Amino acid sequence: MAEELPRNRSQSEQKEELESSVTVIEKQAQRRIFKIIVIGDSNVGKTCLTYRFCSGKFPDKTEATIGVDFRERTIEIDKEQVKLQLWDTAGQERFRKSMVQHYYRNVHAVVFVYDVTKMSSFDSMPSWIEECDRHNLNKDIPRLLVGNKCDMKLRIAVNTNLAQKFADSHSMPLFETSAKDDERANHVDAIFMTLAHKLKSKGLFTGNTGLRIPGTYSIADNMVMYYVCQVTSVCF
Amino acid sequence: MTLIKRQKTMAVNYCVTPVIQALVSCQSMQLTRSPERHKIKLIQKAMDASPVDTRQLKNLAIMWGGLLSDDIRKKAWPKLLGVDVDNIPPKPDKEILYGHRDYNQVVLDVNRTLKRFPPGMEVEHRMSLQDELVDLIMRVLVKHPELHYYQGYHDICVTFLLVAGEDIAFALMEWLSVNHLRDFMDSTMDRTKHILNYLYPIVGKSKPKLRDFMEESEVGSVFSLSWLITWYGHVLDDLRHIVRLYDFFIACHPLMPIYLAAVIVLYREKEILSSECDMCVLHGLLSKIPDNLPFELLIREAGDLFIQYPPTQLANEAIKTYKRKALVVTGKKSIQKYATRRGTGGSWLWRYLVPDVGGGYIKVTAFVVVALLSSAAWNMWAARDW
Ligand SMILES: Nc1nc2c(ncn2[C@@H]2O[C@H](COP(=O)(O)OP(=O)(O)O)[C@@H](O)[C@H]2O)c(=O)[nH]1
Ligand SMILES: [Mg+2]
Repeated sequence: MAEELPRNRSQSEQKEELESSVTVIEKQAQRRIFKIIVIGDSNVGKTCLTYRFCSGKFPDKTEATIGVDFRERTIEIDKEQVKLQLWDTAGQERFRKSMVQHYYRNVHAVVFVYDVTKMSSFDSMPSWIEECDRHNLNKDIPRLLVGNKCDMKLRIAVNTNLAQKFADSHSMPLFETSAKDDERANHVDAIFMTLAHKLKSKGLFTGNTGLRIPGTYSIADNMVMYYVCQVTSVCF
Repeated sequence: MTLIKRQKTMAVNYCVTPVIQALVSCQSMQLTRSPERHKIKLIQKAMDASPVDTRQLKNLAIMWGGLLSDDIRKKAWPKLLGVDVDNIPPKPDKEILYGHRDYNQVVLDVNRTLKRFPPGMEVEHRMSLQDELVDLIMRVLVKHPELHYYQGYHDICVTFLLVAGEDIAFALMEWLSVNHLRDFMDSTMDRTKHILNYLYPIVGKSKPKLRDFMEESEVGSVFSLSWLITWYGHVLDDLRHIVRLYDFFIACHPLMPIYLAAVIVLYREKEILSSECDMCVLHGLLSKIPDNLPFELLIREAGDLFIQYPPTQLANEAIKTYKRKALVVTGKKSIQKYATRRGTGGSWLWRYLVPDVGGGYIKVTAFVVVALLSSAAWNMWAARDW
């Protein structure tokens, strides 16, 4: 008998009622929800990046992502609550072939991630883009390219110019960043904030064309505001 | 109170006396002054019998508390599976192990397995165990070129490594990889997806409304993917819960993990129904399993569900789900073709479970028939050699 099902008494039911009414209010308040899918090879840091953005820190123990993980964070843009829902996907090929497809549906943006210390993860980018093209009928949705692990300065293997050329050729902005480096934590935020601004403006002005921002955004503290202000207002 | 009610329904539905016996013996075991010591004796006796009394051992592994301690598990798991621990083949050379196509992915995943080692373990000790974990995985993959590594396989291996040490873990994993886990190790995950499609039919049989709600949300079943393919090792924090489930899974039909998934979903019904009917919200809610679930109860419920809705009964429905979603194969013909093509090679599980589209079964082996028709389904479930 030790493990009889816990019966919810009226108190907890009341609490539930309260909670559900809160949800309703929340729902009304949050008119905008943006779904963003994060893809790229295994181990490039997709989980760490999404975790950094949603929880504000670098996870001390990450594990391989199995299937799809979901994280979210609500931010405020122009006094409006905007919810960003990030779909963190498994990098291993077998998962993306059959499990991840479902999550490409209805996404508002795609974030491609490679590891700046690992050339092969950059070399895989065309196949990720191709895959994305296959799933997303709408080519207009914003995409951006993120080179992660920039804190490992001595081991950088992917040349910024090369990455920039690639990004340009696909009309994506490039961000080089680090999920790990606490000093640059704002930078990861800025990337997603930028995206959120873009999405929001896109929602307001339909018919906006694809995202194209020339220039590289390498990590520099004083650049952070640049992303949010300059980038969002001028280039979008 | 719940227990008595359950007994009654069970008796009415199945007239299966062993069920009641098992429940009663669970109860009486709790009442004896030293139920554990008594159970340990029973386990010992079953292991010492010649030949090993696997039937009894399976019962004990499933029943309350499972095999109780890791010391016992280390000895009992091989006996449950009929694995000979005295003749474990030696480890191949490093070049062979590390030359395998999946080696890099394995290393990446094992490096990130920190969470699975007991907190407080010395870093050096942990690192040497991680090396052993890589070797263990590669030994299985090298020996069976037809098996493909998947992210999550390492979560099962680490459990066996922690309990049984590299060599025995290898013997166990080799056996399980060509049996219980075989479907996950194809070159694609199509069959894994097929198994996931059992979830909704099982849930729907018990709680149609819950199923409707979940279907409406379009949450899918990927939230339970890691439960299934890691045998819950990836999602549960407490190793004690994990090994307890492993007792259960080792002693049962390979599809039992998906029945447990359904039971967990059913158990969380209230939570689910009171949350927003939205894919993201539900995925977020469901993909995390609370650590304080009453696992003993859930194990029993999973067993009950298995008897009530055996896999064969669900197979047609799963295929329908599969078809409706039309994610991989579309149309009657291709499914049929697919099923027959898989018929001879690949896994036995698939052969048992894939119905032909007309409604009959392409191939149904003896045990399924017996399991379906026998009034002693409980015995089958608990004690058959699958
Ligand atoms: N140095 C450094 N390591 C990182 C960074 N981001 C992730 N990592 C590490 O890279 C490994 C893979 O990260 P993870 O987020 O799990 O990759 P995923 O497979 O793409 O999700 C982990 O060991 C992380 O600790 C980073 O910005 N800098
Ligand atoms: Mg990940």
